[in-house]
Amino acid sequence: MDGERTQTQHDGPERPRGWAPHPREQMLITPLVAGLGGLLAFFTVVFIVVWLPIHTFDPPASLDWAPLSDQAVKGRNLFAQNGCYVCHSGYSRPQDVRESLYFLYPKVSQPGDFYGSDQSPNLLGTERTGPDLSQESGWHPDDWQRAHFYDPRFVDPLSLMPPMKSLFSDTQIEQLITFVETRSGKSGLLRYAGQLYSKHVVTTNQGFPQPYTGFQGAHKPILEGNDKILNPPKDQLEEAPNLAQIDRSYWLSANPLPVTEENLLRGKEVFLQRCVGCHGIAGDGKGPGAAFMSPSPADFTSADDACCGGDTGPGDFYYRILRGWPGTGMENFGDRLSVDDIWRVVLFVKTIPNHTLRKNVVPEPKDYIVWQPSKELIAWLKSRQKPTGNASFSKKAVTDPFMQEAMRVLPGLAPGDKFLLNDGKTPLSLDDAAAGIKAIYQDLLDRAWNEARARGNKLPPEVQKAIPPTVPGQQ
Amino acid sequence: MTDLWSAPAMGERTPEPGNVIGEAPAPLTERATRPSPFPDRAARHWILSAIFWLTVVDLFGLVLATEFVTPEAFGGISWLSFSRIRPSHVSGVILAWLTMMYFGALFYMLPRLIGTRGMWSERLGVWCAWAWNLMFLLGVIGLLTGHSQGREYGEFIWPIDILLLVVWLANVVNILATVSLRTIRPIYVSVWFFIASPIWLAVDYAIGNVIWRPGNVWGAPSGALEGSLSDAMLNWWYAHNLFGLWLTPMLIAITYYMVPRITNTPLYSYTLSLISFWGMAFLYTGVGDHHILQSPTPSWLKTIAEVSSWALLIPVFAFTINILGTMKGNWDKFFTNLPLRFTLTAFFFYFLVNIQGAFEAIQPFNKLQHFTNFVVAHAHLALLGAFTILGMGVIDYIVAQVYARPLFSRTLTEWQYWLVTVGFTGFFSVLTLAGFQQGFSWAEGIPEVNVLPQLHAYYIARGIFGAMIVVSGIVQIVNVGMTIFTNTHERRRRETLRVAEAVAPPLSG
Repeated sequence: MDGERTQTQHDGPERPRGWAPHPREQMLITPLVAGLGGLLAFFTVVFIVVWLPIHTFDPPASLDWAPLSDQAVKGRNLFAQNGCYVCHSGYSRPQDVRESLYFLYPKVSQPGDFYGSDQSPNLLGTERTGPDLSQESGWHPDDWQRAHFYDPRFVDPLSLMPPMKSLFSDTQIEQLITFVETRSGKSGLLRYAGQLYSKHVVTTNQGFPQPYTGFQGAHKPILEGNDKILNPPKDQLEEAPNLAQIDRSYWLSANPLPVTEENLLRGKEVFLQRCVGCHGIAGDGKGPGAAFMSPSPADFTSADDACCGGDTGPGDFYYRILRGWPGTGMENFGDRLSVDDIWRVVLFVKTIPNHTLRKNVVPEPKDYIVWQPSKELIAWLKSRQKPTGNASFSKKAVTDPFMQEAMRVLPGLAPGDKFLLNDGKTPLSLDDAAAGIKAIYQDLLDRAWNEARARGNKLPPEVQKAIPPTVPGQQ
Repeated sequence: MTDLWSAPAMGERTPEPGNVIGEAPAPLTERATRPSPFPDRAARHWILSAIFWLTVVDLFGLVLATEFVTPEAFGGISWLSFSRIRPSHVSGVILAWLTMMYFGALFYMLPRLIGTRGMWSERLGVWCAWAWNLMFLLGVIGLLTGHSQGREYGEFIWPIDILLLVVWLANVVNILATVSLRTIRPIYVSVWFFIASPIWLAVDYAIGNVIWRPGNVWGAPSGALEGSLSDAMLNWWYAHNLFGLWLTPMLIAITYYMVPRITNTPLYSYTLSLISFWGMAFLYTGVGDHHILQSPTPSWLKTIAEVSSWALLIPVFAFTINILGTMKGNWDKFFTNLPLRFTLTAFFFYFLVNIQGAFEAIQPFNKLQHFTNFVVAHAHLALLGAFTILGMGVIDYIVAQVYARPLFSRTLTEWQYWLVTVGFTGFFSVLTLAGFQQGFSWAEGIPEVNVLPQLHAYYIARGIFGAMIVVSGIVQIVNVGMTIFTNTHERRRRETLRVAEAVAPPLSG
């Protein structure tokens, strides 16, 4: 046994000819060769892959680029310090951008989007446990963000995101929200301006105060609208401003799906899976996230609303689930639910007044409350529902981005429509909306630009600022 | 001149079947319990700290796995939030567990390879171990309280970076001074890596963490370049070189030590050793950009990253052939010698991770699996499958040698091996499948949140397999602790002698 081992030691296994088992004198590695030679090899490659790209790659600001405000920079640092980038990447790739995901990835990130010195450290990320956030600005209003940060399952029960209630103070969460809402360049600022303008429209129209800031909503009662300050115009349908946020082709739509037990049950399943955080386990609009929102989430328990409301037709519900309701916490589910499932939820919502949300209750077709448009509504529609007044049929495409955004948040308005909100004095029209959105956008951009200059940040030439935003993706 | 290439490790007692890992019967010779001529004080401190941190960072991982299953699990506790534990887990695995294990192994192996009685300064090594523990403790407290630079793999804040570099450089000085005292002139391949790799990493860490830009020293933005994309390119160059210039070369160096040493066979080929060393130095440094292949960074840099990632297979195959050649005729020891079994299991996973990594680094496949759990599986294949399993075997080997006694229990060591191997294999398979599920769903335009319910089962399975890995680490702590504090070998030897004396009186001289 011992003899065999010794022999193995000396001869070793067979080697291909010419492979030296023992060091030749001229090929000896000394500590100097290993240390300095190793460093030389290292620095050669470092010169090529580190020094060279950093000193030659300096893309100018893209047309869509916008600086961050002081508040947003603070929020960005919080985002970095608390490791948000480990689940949320910070750039969208060519293959991410597709029509069905326009809401998450409206455009491909360009080198120039990362211009400037307020974007350090990088937040590109390597994993998407959650969605990419580079294009997140403006898709949700601030109050939705507050509820979501406090506990993500308040607004999306499927989410895996950790609750942030114990991580941030009220001040910090506002900084973080400012960052999220303004990080996507000019196109994001435009969406955010549209969101802020819509918030103004919906709260004024329904007599709601501004939402609680920070995490206050977790400890305060659910907000209620004050009907007393409302003074709806006499010659105008009371629901007209609400209908203005729904594409008019949906106003009178009926259900394309039959009211069957199967469809209703699937609707209940989806409702319980996605909607109860805000609308509540009883469908009364008193879910755990409700107190963050202004206006507060819809209450579906009234049979009166279900049968006869001016803006509670199946098509209205369908559109709001599909595209969201800008200005409210109601977000866009079009990318997450199939068309059929959205209709099933609509069917189910119409059975809620008959207590179908109770545990172990299977909704039956007899629980379904049929919606009938009121006489006033039909009369109102008769004067409105004309193809000629519909912007969608206009031969000339709208190119003004502010008007495009106004049409996105108020898709039910025709170019000639001039209404008043239900407070009786605030005007509502596409022109007013475009002007308002433009003013908010300019204010956001000017403030960020001035603060960036005061911070001493690198800024592109002044003309970049004047270039209007674009509206990427399918809107 | 002593020929190291035919006698792989010098100054160490010849391993005999039975004295390394507690295989019974322990030999009844004086030699088996003769105290080691090496002080090994530095090695002990680094190794024992490493075992402790392994369980800590494993538990971090278990917290993360739990939060994937029930995100509300630790909802009220800010420092247990996923986003803060995740950087602690990653930094901990690399800087606390693997780095301390590697330095411990280095301080053990280097004197034996170059013929010195211990390190240049064992005392410095011990001080560095304590300073390193303190550094990591402070760093991780910082991360858990929201003080982070916010750069992946470079999260520690600036003061911690400086402390880390000071300790690191002290170690480098210690290593170089030890090498200068060597009595064996031609240095063995492991020593090349022991010299070059710590120097590489010191430079990599200093550049990668942009230590000349402290900024706000208590958190972001500090330690980052001004331009976002420049910073990203630097960030990923640095992050990949944590593996390419430190964790991997050390795995290779240690495997080059363990396999010839335990099998008592000279290393197969000197030429292949040269290829694996210089190939690593030239080809591993440029692959970092493959982490951001779909980002808006320069295409030529991506091309370099893709080509280097494939060219990397040259040193990998050189190393693989070299080890397989050395193992030729020695495979029986794979089944009987546990440290060798750990080492070769790690070696197999290391080979696999390189093949997998090469495919991940090309555009078409990267498009499918980037951002998914496939990448998480790949990272664990390297850090858990290769480096951690190697580290476990190395520690079992070194503890037995340093304390000059067999490990407390071979059964426990077997449990440790099978728990970590089965746990890891399951963990890896589950996450790879989850990654494909995500990748194909996203490619169809399904948004991330809609895939989450489908991943739930995978996440539960991952948590269970992860728990096996945690248990494996705890088994090792028990085994090593019992080895140190109860000398079973000595007890067993005395018992046997007593029985022998009772049965037959000792023969006269």
